[in-house]
Amino acid sequence: MFYKSSDHLTPVSVEEYHRISTLLAKEYRILDEERFSDWLDLLHPEIHYWMPGIENRRRENPLEYGFFDSKHMAYFDDAIRDIKRRVSRFSQPSAWAENPGTRNVHIVAGIEAFYGEEAGEYCVYSTFQNIRSRGLDEEYIFSGRRYDTWSLVDGVLKLKKRLILMPNATLTCKNINTFI
Amino acid sequence: MANRIKTIDITDALPDIDDFCDIPNARISGEIFHRQDIYEQELEKIFARCWLFVGHESQFKKAGDYITTTMGEDDVIIVRQKNGSHKAFINACPHRGNKVCFSESGNARGFICNYHGWSFNIEGNLIGQHESGIYESSQFDASKWGLREVAQIDSYKGLIFATFDAQAPSLEEYLGPMTWYLDALFDNQEGGTEFVGGCIRSTMDCNWKIAAENFVGDILHAGWTHDSAARAMLGGAVSKVSDFEESYSVNWNGHGYEFALDTVGNVAVLGESALNKYLHTIKPSVIDRLGEFRANMIGSVSSCTIFPNFSFLPGQNTVRIWQPRGPNKIELFTWVVVNKTAPEDIKEKWRKGAMITFSPTGVFEMDDGENWEYCTKTARGRVTSQQDLFVGLGMDTYLEETDLPANVYSGQLNEANSRAFYQYWGDLLKSPSWDAMPNNNKGKAKAGPKASQISDKTDGIGEK
Ligand code: FES
Ligand SMILES: [Fe+2]
Repeated sequence: MFYKSSDHLTPVSVEEYHRISTLLAKEYRILDEERFSDWLDLLHPEIHYWMPGIENRRRENPLEYGFFDSKHMAYFDDAIRDIKRRVSRFSQPSAWAENPGTRNVHIVAGIEAFYGEEAGEYCVYSTFQNIRSRGLDEEYIFSGRRYDTWSLVDGVLKLKKRLILMPNATLTCKNINTFI
Repeated sequence: MANRIKTIDITDALPDIDDFCDIPNARISGEIFHRQDIYEQELEKIFARCWLFVGHESQFKKAGDYITTTMGEDDVIIVRQKNGSHKAFINACPHRGNKVCFSESGNARGFICNYHGWSFNIEGNLIGQHESGIYESSQFDASKWGLREVAQIDSYKGLIFATFDAQAPSLEEYLGPMTWYLDALFDNQEGGTEFVGGCIRSTMDCNWKIAAENFVGDILHAGWTHDSAARAMLGGAVSKVSDFEESYSVNWNGHGYEFALDTVGNVAVLGESALNKYLHTIKPSVIDRLGEFRANMIGSVSSCTIFPNFSFLPGQNTVRIWQPRGPNKIELFTWVVVNKTAPEDIKEKWRKGAMITFSPTGVFEMDDGENWEYCTKTARGRVTSQQDLFVGLGMDTYLEETDLPANVYSGQLNEANSRAFYQYWGDLLKSPSWDAMPNNNKGKAKAGPKASQISDKTDGIGEK
């Protein structure tokens, strides 16, 4: 769709695939249940969590990565400190707009898992859909693709890199008040 | 017959403007956020007449660099010319009206319409068509069928504005003394500013005026609405605006700027001490350039809207257009502005800091969006829309004795700018021409000799 991933990676074993795919499912269940501190536990301290803005460009005028660019504006371009700040905002009693809260369903599909270039690292590709409802009748749905790097830290998988790409050059709602 | 744009005959003013926009009594009605007939009047009498922000010069580096945007709901292409100037064209082909340029930015030698292959150069001239022979045998005069230019285009300190109205006053006259204040953000260093690459586009189900008015003069909401975000970014509450000993609301022609003189109050919420430090480091040179008064504004607690829909926050350095998309909807174009001469790591911190605070994923903006949408949604109630809404804070705060330019009011916790915004809005809806616009400006058109000095109260605030 936008970003050319490598086809030369080696798929993980069935056991590892099972471990990784259930972890992705669990991650989304945790987010839907607003268990933000449990979600933070899944993150590597050196995480780069990146969702660039998508720009509608002609093919002969590509940006660094076609429709996006690492130096351009982004929805998320976060290190761990930034993510913790976002979580902290959700947790404030004065987050008026989050009371009543937003109800989320995150769906992950099309999971592919490969051995990464470094030992103990995995490249994990997936597609997602996020459905949010707020108030009595607000509903926002958006979808996209994720390119993850998960890394073993003391035998536990931690999310070290995530690139989130949605197809939309215009976000057709007022915010993204969740994580993807 | 030449490609022309028929003159839009000015329609009659709505008969009840004074009912829904009663500024002498500091009241407006929610129906201004909901009624389709009011919205159509706005497209005609505001967006087809006023100067609208269309881009920043830094978005265009060489001839043929272009961006596409909208003026009101009209699609336009802004393209840099060989001589370094910019032209703005209606982004619709004069043959059947197809959109000519679909991408949001790039570089082109010209624009070719996908439908029947009309081809335009960057000056907008029609230079060829598919099956050109058939045009020749129809005595077609290509010189008359180029892309249509806007009536006027001009810039101030890198900010490019355009208007569809040939009768509109010059940009200089339209902005008036607001430029003196704009310099605090857009000209505080040699070389001025540039936009970070990219533009975040998003939509909100709110009326465009609610967003514009929020930036024109509503700091009141910040301490309450944004409490959670401030605590998240700073680990504490935002500075209490009523604690500032000196702050102002200034306006002119419906534009408004509210500000404190605390130098770094806005930038501080980005939670990047390097940015506070950068502003303190450049401050002495800003004093040399702009004087002490405006040097205290470079990142202070402040916000601004240039009428009708161009807004920014100094310090957070977020820049917006609130594009109208019907009475109940806007499209937001969000950019980040930085000083051209700032070090790269400082620019990078602003790029990220502005996004994590004021963008669709920004922790501050999420709370604004909720408020703005529901101010709009409640107005669909036929009875609710007739409820008086209060805009009466600071009725007696006008400052006669000041050398500051524009209409100056003391205190930024003040609805003076909101009233001026709606007054100008109502006046435009009533006025069949620019000549008929009443002049409500009573302040100085130029800064007086003492404007750049600071009072005893201000002295030292920025260093705290
Ligand atoms: S509509 Fe553009 S060439 Fe026909
Ligand atoms: Fe706000």
